[in-house]
Amino acid sequence: MSDHEEHVIDRESGTMGMWLFLFTELFLFGGLFLVYAVFRYMHPAEFHEAGLELDTFVGTLNTVVLLISSMTVAMSITAVQKKNNALALGLLAITTILALVFMVNKYFEWTHKFHLVIYPGSPVLENMERGELLFYGLYFIMTGLHALHVIIGLIVLFFAGYGIMKGTVTSERTLLLENAGLYWHLVDLIWIFLFPLMYLIT
Amino acid sequence: MTQSEKYTHVSYREHQGKYKGIMAWLTTTDHKRIGLMYLFGIAVFFCVAAVLGLLMRIEKIAPGETIMDAATYNGIFTLHGVIMIFIVVIPGIAAVFGNFCLPIMIGAKDVMFPKLNLLSWYIYVIGAILGVLSQFMGDGPPDTGWTFYVPYSAEANSNVVIALTAAFVLGFSSILTGLNFIVTIHRMRAPGMTFFKMPLFPWSLYATAWIQVLATPIVGITLLMVIAERTLHIGFFDPALGGDPLLYQHLFWIYSHPAVYVMILPAMGVVSEIFPTFSQKPVFGYTAIAISSLAIAVVGYFVWGHHMYTSGISYYSRWFFSFLTFIVAVPSAIKVFNWISTMYGGSIELRTPLLYAISFIFLFLIGGFTGLTLGALATNVHVHDTTFVVAHFHYIIFGGMGFAFFAAMHYWFPKMYGRMYNEKVANLAWGFLFVGFNVLYFPLFIIGLQGMPRRYFDYLPKFQTGHVISTIGAFILITGLIIMIANLIRGVRKGAYASANPWKGVTLEWQIESPPTLLNFDKVPEIKHPPYLFKKETEA
Amino acid sequence: MFGGASNLAADVDKAFIFIFGVSFILIIGITAFMIWTVVKFNRKKGIPAQQFTHNNTAEIIWTVIPTIIVLVMFWYGWKGFKTMRTVPDDAMEVTVISYMWSWDFDYGDGKISKELVLPINKPVKLNLVSQDVNHSFFIPAFRVKEDVVPGYDNWLWFEATEKGTFDIFCAEYCGLLHSGMLATARVVEDAEYTQWLASVESVKDKPSPEGEAIAKANSCLGCHSLDGSKLVGPSFKGLYGSKKIVIEDGKEVEIEVDDTYLKTSITDPNAQVVKGFNKGLMQSYSGVISDEDIDKIVDYLRTVN
Ligand code: HEA
Ligand code: HEA
Ligand code: HEC
Ligand code: CUA
Ligand SMILES: [Cu+2]
Repeated sequence: MSDHEEHVIDRESGTMGMWLFLFTELFLFGGLFLVYAVFRYMHPAEFHEAGLELDTFVGTLNTVVLLISSMTVAMSITAVQKKNNALALGLLAITTILALVFMVNKYFEWTHKFHLVIYPGSPVLENMERGELLFYGLYFIMTGLHALHVIIGLIVLFFAGYGIMKGTVTSERTLLLENAGLYWHLVDLIWIFLFPLMYLIT
Repeated sequence: MTQSEKYTHVSYREHQGKYKGIMAWLTTTDHKRIGLMYLFGIAVFFCVAAVLGLLMRIEKIAPGETIMDAATYNGIFTLHGVIMIFIVVIPGIAAVFGNFCLPIMIGAKDVMFPKLNLLSWYIYVIGAILGVLSQFMGDGPPDTGWTFYVPYSAEANSNVVIALTAAFVLGFSSILTGLNFIVTIHRMRAPGMTFFKMPLFPWSLYATAWIQVLATPIVGITLLMVIAERTLHIGFFDPALGGDPLLYQHLFWIYSHPAVYVMILPAMGVVSEIFPTFSQKPVFGYTAIAISSLAIAVVGYFVWGHHMYTSGISYYSRWFFSFLTFIVAVPSAIKVFNWISTMYGGSIELRTPLLYAISFIFLFLIGGFTGLTLGALATNVHVHDTTFVVAHFHYIIFGGMGFAFFAAMHYWFPKMYGRMYNEKVANLAWGFLFVGFNVLYFPLFIIGLQGMPRRYFDYLPKFQTGHVISTIGAFILITGLIIMIANLIRGVRKGAYASANPWKGVTLEWQIESPPTLLNFDKVPEIKHPPYLFKKETEA
Repeated sequence: MFGGASNLAADVDKAFIFIFGVSFILIIGITAFMIWTVVKFNRKKGIPAQQFTHNNTAEIIWTVIPTIIVLVMFWYGWKGFKTMRTVPDDAMEVTVISYMWSWDFDYGDGKISKELVLPINKPVKLNLVSQDVNHSFFIPAFRVKEDVVPGYDNWLWFEATEKGTFDIFCAEYCGLLHSGMLATARVVEDAEYTQWLASVESVKDKPSPEGEAIAKANSCLGCHSLDGSKLVGPSFKGLYGSKKIVIEDGKEVEIEVDDTYLKTSITDPNAQVVKGFNKGLMQSYSGVISDEDIDKIVDYLRTVN
């Protein structure tokens, strides 16, 4: 607030705003899940077929990685509330590393697909069954959009960590960190839905 | 006319912050200034799109090519639709008058997230500029219509991606505004103001905000998918890539039908303020009006299929969507009857805002009832995608939301600027607008019934009479618009000073200075009464 | 009320009349009421405003009555619609093939016509097929319309009850010449119909060059005429061997049309744009049509004179 006297956003309003925002994110992915549901309903066998191609091991690994990272974020919030800033920063660092692990896995997974000449518009893909084509389209866009959210989440976490160092995030004012945490949980949650739909489909 | 001395307080427009001049506006987080900034943005884009509308009308004065070729015409109606819908009417009343009045009407100093509010404006401007640029960059104007139906939009060789991106960005701005309003209404009402002591304009904004937050992401992702389809060749909707074209239409209308209520609900909120004030009488059926806004918002989510009756969806879906379409008309009916009952038994002063509000009802009725014609299955088959639809939505958007916007403009003008426009000229402009409007759009109903399809560059000679009359109407309408805009601009600069409460309104915005100070209230008001309590004044 | 010429028209018009009638009464009534209140309760009369705030009976009345009215409207709309979706078993079938920006009517046995000719008083079912984007088949006089969506088996049916010629429009936006996508439906006596059908040449009988079929299938002929007239693109008539001015990198160049030129015109149409035509309208067909097929088209184009 440049013009007004100090305008504080109280914790409850900040959280409420964040939740509303998370709703919109859920609806954004919701649209994709809807499309997924429709296409899967139309081509169940081919979706199954294509799903088998995905590497369940990498998928599971990534799920575990994200779950742990969600936990470390939550722990770092508690740490800040207990005024243990060093621990909080450490936990955020671990979260970041885990997120990077996730992205590296993703990178290998995608490049592997590219080696098999499976990417949007590739000749191999064009010759596949209609259902498989749709599955891969969804696979790339959904995991791609999710990966984009991981990156945005990382940036937000970075700002929260910076806030702890600068002293704008303190045991009394945890809103920024909490909201960053909420966002990170969302990223996690979406993956929890993506994982079985893409990798475990039977 | 309420003549008075120049005010002595420092208003929000004169307040000096860290920056001066134009920078003071571009960096402001004051909700009133942001409201005005939206007003300028919307006014400019409205004029651009309106001129495009006029060009279309001139083209159609005779069959065949008159002033432009088919490719240009198709680009123009697309840009006209995109600007009018995404840049003008969806932000429309909520962004301009919502920003300006909402905090004041609930007794707050600002919205909850002022910086986010400014950010929304910037996002809005970026989106709007992108939208206009799409017309001039790259491979030629996008020519898909504002509905971007796939497969055409996935295959057309024009600038569709930029137009899609523009719509996506604008949606983002709309979400942030909605989010801001919801939190503001929940958390910042003045002490004593329960939900049911809140005036009706904030109520309508509340219902609108929920639609914005919950429906916009769906169209956002849908547009992203079309972008992915075009740039990465990922199949979703284009059958050539394995996709399903009807799925696109479903996703598009799941958003875009609720979006029409984003346009009309704030307009309904505006007239719900104007009728009580100019009748000096509490609004009739306060609860019914408030609840019916929510009902419209909720049921409005389930009628999207009425845009797709002829697209090949199943028999039962058509039945179901038609049924719900009729149900959604009932809350609108409730509102109309409550408004007219508000006037009954009042002490009515027919000033410019009321004139606009009454013509709002008239035009909204025509638009609404022709909406019912479209909602009925048998009749829709005949008039779907004809100029009948074009006339329906111009009546309801321009006649409804547009006239309510003009009503709001005249109603809150003294509050925004502390000055008055010339009322005689304002009424004259209204006359031109009202007559021109009907001459412009009514013929489209008739030729639509005779089978004139929409989005037609060319037409059969038998439709010419209707088109010519319609074009004449467009010229009358412009005359009115130009008079109105000139009169308002003159009012801002030279108008007589207005008092704090020129209309004897009782909602909170009339209890503070005109124009308001930066902080709106000297001390936080305490609310003890329901809104619209005129008794004290009339007895005194 | 506007000249219905099919069995469906009566019910549709009934729905129109009912809805318009109710609307008319309510619009006039409400508007009159508003004007009356403004006059009657005008402030100039100096009567203070009454301060009542609500009346539950009134609220209930104006919730229930409109609900009933809209349900009746719904019923009328549905009734007219039900017939539209119930095809009699003995309906004759015609396939409507739509592409940018023209209609073909396929009567089976390779008999394809540009005009829809129908026997009077006989139910017809039209199967709607799109070769490219969405279109919508619309005959106002028959009160029928249904979108033509690629990948969907849409259909409609009706029974023409009046002789004459009726306009067919495309009602779903489909690109540049959407407004030019017109055709006519001619309703005739049974005998005349049989005679006409027999006179339609079957494409099966005259083996058309393969290239023509390919060109048709890719809707080249939507933009290029065979008779010398100018559509979106230049006509194919007499194209081969002619001299043309084309614009290449902004400069005008004169070329003679040969095989290579034709081939690049199909695979990379925007490299050399014929003077007087717009760039960007024709898209590249490389990857869309195989190289062999492109050769066949070129062979065919050589023969169009
Ligand atoms: C502000 C925007 C707005 C609003 C509020 C509405 C309101 C309504 N609309 Fe409209 N509509 C559009 C904007 C809007 N529309 C647009 C932009 C399109 C075209 C999109 C495109 O294809 O480009 C469209 C298209 C459209 C179609 C699709 C047409 C087609 O393409 O085939 C249909 C079909 O059902 C429809 C129906 C309705 C109905 C039933 C209402 C109802 O909500 C109206 C309710 C109001 C009343 C009924 C009047 C008041 C009531 C009374 C006075 C009480 C008495 C009433 C009774 C006794 C019934 N609209
Ligand atoms: C808010 C919504 C809104 C508004 C206000 C308007 C306003 C107008 N529209 Fe609208 N229109 C749409 C929304 C709107 N439109 C939409 C969504 C579509 C569908 C697009 C699609 O199919 O995809 C559409 C389609 C549409 C068509 C159908 C195209 C077709 O199907 O072929 C036509 C044709 O007549 C038309 C005409 C007009 C006209 C003449 C005006 C007039 O009312 C405008 C009046 C104003 C003026 C004429 C200019 C005033 C000028 C000034 C105030 C400034 C002075 C400046 C100078 C002199 C330089 N519009
Ligand atoms: C959307 C309309 C459209 C379609 C469909 C279309 N064309 Fe074209 N075509 C044009 C336009 C416009 C031009 C002129 C501009 C240019 O040269 O690029 C053109 C130019 C050409 C030329 C060069 C003509 C000359 O006079 O030099 C050839 C050959 C051609 N097209 C062949 C085809 C073939 C074969 C197909 C189908 C496989 C096809 N076109 C489909 C619009 C179209
Ligand atoms: Cu085909 Cu419009
Ligand atoms: Cu709708």
